[in-house]
Amino acid sequence: MNFIAEGIAQAWLLLCAFDPETFSAVQATLISTSYSMTAALLLGLPCGFVLGYCDFIGRKPLRLLSDTLLAFPTVLIGLLVYAFISRQGPLGEWGLLFTLEGLAVGQTVLALPIITSLTAQAVENLDPRCRQTLLTLGAQPLQAAWATLREVRFQLIMVGLTAFGRVVTEVGIAMMLGGNIRWETRTITTAISLETNKGEFAQGIALGVVLLGMAFVLNVALTLARRRGQST
Amino acid sequence: MSTSQLLYRCHNLEQRYGKHLALTLPSLTLARGEVLALLGANGTGKSTLLRLLAFLDKPYSGTIDFYGEKGIAPRRQATLLLQEPYLLTCSVYDNVAYGLRVRGCSGIQERVEAALVAVGFAPQAISKRLWFELSGGEKQRVALAARLALRPLALLLDEPTSNLDSRSALCIQQAVQQASAAGMAVVIATHDTAWLHSLNARQVILQENAW
Repeated sequence: MNFIAEGIAQAWLLLCAFDPETFSAVQATLISTSYSMTAALLLGLPCGFVLGYCDFIGRKPLRLLSDTLLAFPTVLIGLLVYAFISRQGPLGEWGLLFTLEGLAVGQTVLALPIITSLTAQAVENLDPRCRQTLLTLGAQPLQAAWATLREVRFQLIMVGLTAFGRVVTEVGIAMMLGGNIRWETRTITTAISLETNKGEFAQGIALGVVLLGMAFVLNVALTLARRRGQST
Repeated sequence: MSTSQLLYRCHNLEQRYGKHLALTLPSLTLARGEVLALLGANGTGKSTLLRLLAFLDKPYSGTIDFYGEKGIAPRRQATLLLQEPYLLTCSVYDNVAYGLRVRGCSGIQERVEAALVAVGFAPQAISKRLWFELSGGEKQRVALAARLALRPLALLLDEPTSNLDSRSALCIQQAVQQASAAGMAVVIATHDTAWLHSLNARQVILQENAW
């Protein structure tokens, strides 16, 4: 048990001393997740909204596909994206493998179905009286769609936070596509994995504390968004 | 009834939801400024008819001729207050102003305040309150104010006083009286006939439909 207590004590020292290696992993994590979340939100929110709001031929199969992709194994995502961005792959010349951008591509593929499906679900679950009310108050179809999007804004915040939580804690994709390169693509999760294998518990725990802190902030934000959403 | 006064002319209306026959109505006319009460048991199609008159649904068969202002979509000249109104997740002011904003109207603040006064609110006290801070009766009155602010040609009300206390119900009755006096055609689906006399409402009783 001693080594755990020592690890925790050393972790605080590392954090308080702003250990450069620890903060390099935090920085890499934040950079890659901000790229991937931006891309996934820009693609996923409109797709999810259309899936949940519009009635068109093929909507149900697309919805089913999106829901199925929620269970996409992360190792498979890593493998597929690796195949695309490796030197022999179709996007090989872009030189994305073992970069934060390449890692962000994998994280985007992971987050996209989460954002699409949960957005569609949020729109579908909206009170049907909302659309009737907007129309009877004179909204044109696009105005009604915009107002609907506004009505589910608290749920969309939760969607974003849920996807962020999933992406930031992912290790398989980060290892395969980022390569866990020190000072470059070593993220919090890959660093924890590596440090644990090396027996360097202090740095692993320090990074774990940061991850836990991020999860805590995320959870508080989720709770606030959920509370606001439930007031509707 | 002269053609210039006529607002709605419905002919052989029928509405179905799947195999379920929700409404049959051989004919119905409504003039500007007239108050019409739709009576009948539950399931006779009162709400269905209101949705058709609000142009939210298309009839399965039959026609609805609307003699409103030319160049403006009929859906923007007739507005429906649902039995359990939905308020947008914003302030009272923004709820009442929404319909005016999407129409690009001017003088929004004056019209919102006038509508809030018409349903018995002091605008300054209620405008900034949020949707979840309102009681059921207040929500109903705010939703009515949002419709009154639009100054529609037809005001369609689905059970506007059901589940309300006597004070809220009275506010709604007075607002409807004012709307009618201002020349709006008002159609009210209701089981509460007591207050219809004060409005001099024409009554139409809908019959139960065969399935």
